[in-house]
Amino acid sequence: MPDTLRPTDSESPRPAQSLHTPIKRRSFFMYAGATAGVTALALAGCSKESETTAPSINVSLGFGDASVLNYAYALEQLEAAFYAKAVAATTTVLSTAEKAVLTNVATHEAIHRDFLQAAINRDFPGQLLQTLTFKFDDATFTDRTRLLTAAKTFEDLGVAAYNGAGKLFKVPAYVSIAGQIVSVEARHAAYVRDLLTSGSFAAIDQVDATTGLDKQMAPADVIKIVNTYLDATVVQLDVSTIGQ
Amino acid sequence: MKLISVLDHLAATPTAPEPTPRRALLTKLGRAAAAALPLGLGTAQATTAGTLDSSFDAALQLLQLERLQVALYTQALAAAGLITTAQRPDFERMLAHQTQHAALLQQALQNAGAIVPTVPTFDFSGRHGQSSNPVLFPNVFTSFDDFLALAQQIEDLGVRLYTAHAFNLVYDAVLTRSVLRILPVESQHASHVRSLRRSRGAVVQNWPSEEDAVITRPAAAQVLTTAATGGEETTIQYQSAGVSIPFSTFLTISKGAAIHDPALAESFDEAANTATAQAAMDLFV
Repeated sequence: MPDTLRPTDSESPRPAQSLHTPIKRRSFFMYAGATAGVTALALAGCSKESETTAPSINVSLGFGDASVLNYAYALEQLEAAFYAKAVAATTTVLSTAEKAVLTNVATHEAIHRDFLQAAINRDFPGQLLQTLTFKFDDATFTDRTRLLTAAKTFEDLGVAAYNGAGKLFKVPAYVSIAGQIVSVEARHAAYVRDLLTSGSFAAIDQVDATTGLDKQMAPADVIKIVNTYLDATVVQLDVSTIGQ
Repeated sequence: MKLISVLDHLAATPTAPEPTPRRALLTKLGRAAAAALPLGLGTAQATTAGTLDSSFDAALQLLQLERLQVALYTQALAAAGLITTAQRPDFERMLAHQTQHAALLQQALQNAGAIVPTVPTFDFSGRHGQSSNPVLFPNVFTSFDDFLALAQQIEDLGVRLYTAHAFNLVYDAVLTRSVLRILPVESQHASHVRSLRRSRGAVVQNWPSEEDAVITRPAAAQVLTTAATGGEETTIQYQSAGVSIPFSTFLTISKGAAIHDPALAESFDEAANTATAQAAMDLFV
């Protein structure tokens, strides 16, 4: 057995080898061809409008189960990027114990991200969503309340997104795997909520007061929020064909 | 990891979703209900029935779970001096959720034509209502720490049982949607109870981890621990029977050294074995 050692570097959960499968040329054009054309035109500067109006680069999440997995992959990328930055921040707005827990959370999110990447590459080669670069307000990471509020926002968003997406899967095995992941996300959410406001776990803004069912959000509403953390001049996610 | 057996079970069911899933469930429920009615919510009967993975079994077992949780928090809130004033709202909220979940499942069973068994009498000492039996769970309603330890295991069991049955109910769209939205509520409860225990000095994380201190139970009660966290240490996730997602090899090499990171197993909650879960729940009736 290998040594038991919890890596201290939050960025360490990376594949030993790249799991990324090179995108097949045909698939690439099938999914990205249209926007690639737009980009080329914009870069060529062939219209005056394109110089003043930044082109919105829409990236489709694709179709079928691949699109639902890409949807989850986008969310896990967002969460992983956020927590990696949160635990890497040198200013200490968290206690040592809290930072230790959030470092574990950061690792979980990175594992979810890499797991989904591996799953999509295995089952839907060539259909993997690109690696996303997110922008966060730097002030978020130097203020305790802001940091925990952002963490709560992302955890609640992730849980609500999984809750609303489970029904979109066609292959039942993916429902199980999504359930195994959302469960851990919900554990994160309760921890972060209690940290922000003691006893605010599973409160009525997350669990319906009448039915006792957890909040769910439609993919379009979730992606609208995710897109605000992406550079609108570079990439905006398009979820209109999810599950189709 | 239960996916393999679940997928094997799936192989025995029609390969394509039936055209009218709701009616299909009703048919299955009706058939199973007819067979199960004379047995009621008895203790041993469910296990002797063999599989616990039909839609009817799933809905019934989840109802049993919710009733168990309702009883635990009802009795705890009624126990003088057990839960502090500051923490009563936490358990009242969890009790309200469990009550709502039980009502939802009961309604689903009734809508399908099943006669819902009466609520059994729960005995959280593990003595099955017989004072001559040995106490398996001491001080549950007199020591807050002992109560929290049991609550944690029962909430974790809930998470894992919903994970198992979300799959078994997959062809009932309405029930699946509800069940998928109950699962994370159970997870939030479990996480909160784990936070409470940690704040009182227990070595425990918000998710099942190999770094958690073991909750010591007598041998006769060990099945609860197995049902609550058994198998959580797995690092392999399957896409279908025997087909693993090939990421279990990552993290193995870092700076030239083999590394075993507990986070890998922590990142996924596992499905409970439904027969083990039943044996665990039977400890309390």
